[in-house]
Amino acid sequence: MGLTRRFGDRVALDGVSFAVEPRQMFGFVGPNGAGKTTTMRIILGVLGADAGSVLWNGVPVDMATRSRFGYMPEERGLYPKMRVRAQLVYFAALHGVAAPEEAADRWISRLGLSSRASDRVEQLSLGNQQRVQLAAALVHEPSLLVLDEPFSGLDPVGVDVLSGVLAEYAATGVPVLFSSHQLELVERLCEAVAIIKDGRLVASGSVESLRGSAGSDAVRVVVEGASLEEVRAAAGSVGRVVSAGYAGPSLAELFREVVRD
Amino acid sequence: MIRLVARRELTERVRERSFLVSTGITLGIIVLAVLLPLIFGFGGPKHYVVAGGDAAGRAVAEQAVRVADSFDATVVVSDRDPDATVEGGEIRSTDEPDDTLVNILQVANQQVQSAPPPALRVVTSSPVDPDRDAKAGLAFFAILILYGQLLTYGMWVATGVVEEKSSRVVEILLSTIRPRDLLAGKAIGLGLLGLGQLLVISTVGLIVAAVSGALHVDGNLVGAVALSLVWFVLGYAFYASAFAVAGALVPRQEELQGALMPLTMVILISLFAGFAVNENPDGTFAHVTAFIPPMAPVTMPSRIILGAAPAWEVAASVALMLGSTLLLVPFAARIYAAVVLRTGSAVKLREAIRLARAE
Repeated sequence: MGLTRRFGDRVALDGVSFAVEPRQMFGFVGPNGAGKTTTMRIILGVLGADAGSVLWNGVPVDMATRSRFGYMPEERGLYPKMRVRAQLVYFAALHGVAAPEEAADRWISRLGLSSRASDRVEQLSLGNQQRVQLAAALVHEPSLLVLDEPFSGLDPVGVDVLSGVLAEYAATGVPVLFSSHQLELVERLCEAVAIIKDGRLVASGSVESLRGSAGSDAVRVVVEGASLEEVRAAAGSVGRVVSAGYAGPSLAELFREVVRD
Repeated sequence: MIRLVARRELTERVRERSFLVSTGITLGIIVLAVLLPLIFGFGGPKHYVVAGGDAAGRAVAEQAVRVADSFDATVVVSDRDPDATVEGGEIRSTDEPDDTLVNILQVANQQVQSAPPPALRVVTSSPVDPDRDAKAGLAFFAILILYGQLLTYGMWVATGVVEEKSSRVVEILLSTIRPRDLLAGKAIGLGLLGLGQLLVISTVGLIVAAVSGALHVDGNLVGAVALSLVWFVLGYAFYASAFAVAGALVPRQEELQGALMPLTMVILISLFAGFAVNENPDGTFAHVTAFIPPMAPVTMPSRIILGAAPAWEVAASVALMLGSTLLLVPFAARIYAAVVLRTGSAVKLREAIRLARAE
């Protein structure tokens, strides 16, 4: 609520407020340097806010609540030389899990890492490293999951695996918040999004409601009783047709619209 | 929380093969250093120059030339730079004379007189600890090992901080643990490891020295070595804080060397100061270094082993060291907390202090 953070003279966040609901996949989008990572770090308590507060069920979060959050920072976020199992046990123990070994083993087998459990993280393929990262964020069964650019650098199969795990985890009743540049992906996965630019929230809410309110300077032409081919032909007689289709504004269009200078 | 972090630091480091190998090498060097002088000491004849201060003394000296053979040694009678002078029923020398030489002279003294005379008394002009040389050797090692240990473990603190920073692990850690607890756990874990390693090294060193007879190991000596370990703890707490700040300032291991430069220089200067102090443990310079906190952990143990530091000076030096460390630790923790998430580029120390104030 009203998160504000300054770095020296630069205002990184200026009154950013949004809400994430249980079971919700929440997409957090915005240009580079807009303040996504800063916002997530404040939610996790890694950074302090100059103003504003992070509420959990209406109550400001404290250290005990935060230790129940799960976080996956952008790129790595693992000890490269530590062995997979030891690492997961360590993170589980740090988050106060009563039986950290069991929790680590459970996630190791769930994410198909059993044959790699005693390897050092740096020896693993990038895809497997990402799985370990995910396991590290989930090993304490967090009550809120925050992921910074979890899909960057993943191949399409990796994207499918990760989005599957996230959707499955959200379905257990846990809010999942992640940032991404891949807008089509956010549109496909998320029920709600927040768009941030220069430290200000420029749009937030469910994807449906945002689509409805988009495009203030766009003219909506409703053509009735004509097929797409007829419209295309008519348009082609006066100029070049780039594309024609039935779609409403995609999230990508929406994004470009609201962050435009 | 702090315990969890400390345990990870300790176990991860012990599991590295390089750690075990380096500990083994250090132990090997210690054993060799204690034993080598003994091994070489037994080989080959020894040469002594003996002077006779009076008639009886000259007779003893000349007899010693004949006796020497059975001791696998040679004796030359000369007044020029003698190892010992026999005069008035005494063996006189500036430093403690060799045991072999004393034995030769005692036997010669018995042989030159018809009636068994009283044994010669050994008189040295400078009061000398019989273990002076051995202790100087031990003090030399204490300096080298403390220097190496402070540098190595300080470096590990710094590289550990950078590792967490560059891999972004620190972001996950800081969502469950306060920065100063994380730093404390890291420093304590590595410090315990360093202390344990020193304990093993010094115990093995003392046992080998005692068993081989290279050193007369008594309560005083064990106490002095134990005090050296205390000095490691003091010095480590000081340097670990400083190294942690240096580590937190840079985003990548490649940039760490530059940031550590001033600190490694200070430790290196302390090493040379330690050598100078070992040569002259009661000199003005030795007394001055006792009151320079970054230097004292390297220079003081050698003086304590040599028995050249008065108790009040040790106490004052420890107090000053403790005081400066207690000032440095919270300062370091605040700077660490302020800059450890800055991943873009290296932060200047002045900028870091400004950020820490603003937090």
